Amino acid sequence: MTTSPIAILAIIFAQLLAAFGAVCFKKSASKLSWQPELLVKNKPLIIGLFFYGISTIICIPALKYGELSILYPFVSTVYIFVALFSTRMLGEKMNALKWLGIALIILGVSFIGIGA
Amino acid sequence: MSTKAWAVALVVFCTLLTSTAQLFYKTGANKLPLIFFNWPIIIGLCLYALGAILLIIALKGGELTILYPIIALGYIWVTLLSSAFFNEMITGYKIIGIALIVLGISAIGIASRRKEK
Repeated sequence: MTTSPIAILAIIFAQLLAAFGAVCFKKSASKLSWQPELLVKNKPLIIGLFFYGISTIICIPALKYGELSILYPFVSTVYIFVALFSTRMLGEKMNALKWLGIALIILGVSFIGIGA
Repeated sequence: MSTKAWAVALVVFCTLLTSTAQLFYKTGANKLPLIFFNWPIIIGLCLYALGAILLIIALKGGELTILYPIIALGYIWVTLLSSAFFNEMITGYKIIGIALIVLGISAIGIASRRKEK
């Protein structure tokens, strides 16, 4: 099966959305409540669910239009995006060791894709 | 903020839930186009939702850059579960992949310990 370039782009886009959603979840964490009224008013939570949902909806069909050996590495770009967004939007810090960890994960996911 | 052990443990548990959910999806996919009483898919969705809820709770206990990469454990569980339940082969590539993911998550774990000075 040839891998559709559109599938690759869709997946990268989906990972951007997922990473943004994850940052929203982190922001929502401090305002979490067991009370439903407060949950629906938790803007970061709602926004995060929206972006994460769209990301999932895009990814599931996209993965069918290509080989996992090619698509999986692009799926793992989410970890890069999360790192970049977190530094910008959450004030978290990245360092060489954390980047190394991400690189190893991306490599590992790529191998799993190849082995599939 | 420092990343707490309970948050790490919770994220690990979440990966188990979402991986199991994917197992149910795959089982239910064989029954498509049945949607409404497709129990495997319904169970899978419930597990996935529960995993998402727990993940959000876990984020209270640590940094996103430390906790989020742990989600990569899901690839490991899915590989193992697929082998057990769908007889998919664990190839050499997959083993290398699993090892690399473990190394990567470990590196991030070490980084989370070091930052607290």
